[in-house]
Amino acid sequence: MSKIHDIGGLHGFGELAIESDEPPFHHEWEARVFGINRILLGAGCYTLDEFRDAIERMPPAHYLAASYYERWLHAIETLVAAKGVLDVRGG
Amino acid sequence: MSHVHATSGSAANRVKSLVAALEGAGLLTEQRLDDAVASFLGRAQPATGARVVARAWVEAGFRGRLLDDANAAVAELGIDLTHWAPVKLRAVANEPGRHNLIVCTLCSCYPLALLGPSPAWYKSEAYRSRAVRDPRSILAEFGTQLAPGVEITVWDSTAEVRYLVLPERPAGTAGAREDELAALVTRDGLIGTALV
Amino acid sequence: MYAVGDAVRTRVMNPAGHTRLPVYVRGRPGRIEHVLGALPFPDARAAGVAGAMQTAYTVRFASADLWGVDGDPGAGVCADLFESYLEMR
Repeated sequence: MSKIHDIGGLHGFGELAIESDEPPFHHEWEARVFGINRILLGAGCYTLDEFRDAIERMPPAHYLAASYYERWLHAIETLVAAKGVLDVRGG
Repeated sequence: MSHVHATSGSAANRVKSLVAALEGAGLLTEQRLDDAVASFLGRAQPATGARVVARAWVEAGFRGRLLDDANAAVAELGIDLTHWAPVKLRAVANEPGRHNLIVCTLCSCYPLALLGPSPAWYKSEAYRSRAVRDPRSILAEFGTQLAPGVEITVWDSTAEVRYLVLPERPAGTAGAREDELAALVTRDGLIGTALV
Repeated sequence: MYAVGDAVRTRVMNPAGHTRLPVYVRGRPGRIEHVLGALPFPDARAAGVAGAMQTAYTVRFASADLWGVDGDPGAGVCADLFESYLEMR
């Protein structure tokens, strides 16, 4: 009835994994993905809606296996390729 | 760089390739990338949200304005809500008999500018799927017990609106200064998984 | 346009593209809790329509209308939904 991201109400995902003193990012590359997304959204390379859509279009098994920032990375790679972001040489 | 859409390889290596490709296209530099993260983390952290709450606890007029038009109210404190784009902020107040909990079932919408990057559990399938169906079991996992009969409203952030829970001011804090009150406010209290 | 307190029902839909109407609130009765005003309309924007806006509302749903007997009767849900997701009931 929808796509794999639309999980409100589903059973079976288990207990929360609550970390005390959790850092903002768990790996350096996650912070970089966050920064890349900020810059590309800010530059108008794609919109937040296109970004979410790119995540939602991930094959369901891939979506569920990916970590949060791996999903972001997938979406950024997808949009950079699909929208020809690298073709527009700004520098 | 002909093909950055690699679906294999470690994430760290994929990010390295992506940064190199974007750098080659003149879209970013290592310096800009570091600044984009550091400038955000510098201002967006739970202490920012805590400052808003403490002000609402000490100034009834501000509390009213916060609940009525949160964007205007936090602007009074000099807080910039922009992260990806301007967002609409709404504060929802816990009151005797009424508790609030924030979730985004579809992705991970969160008041980033007020609280910083969200915790991993907030973005997890476990939280996103269950918060709307059985919020009391979520609270229980945080050790949060509401009094019997307390009604919960779960706010699912499905549009470009970000929610902030305004917790009840703790008992026994009548003489506390605003900065002392702010120190009592936790991130989880602003999401609604904990009381303050 | 809806006003606070209006009894609405979310539309039944199953688009292949992007939408911000979650499955668990499709085809459900609710009430307008708050009028949010015009917000960026994601369904159109994700499809490449730059600048699309639409009026959005916070809609409150009772637990029984979402989960039947399997929900928590003391826990309601509010979701922020766009005008085109709603119909009057």
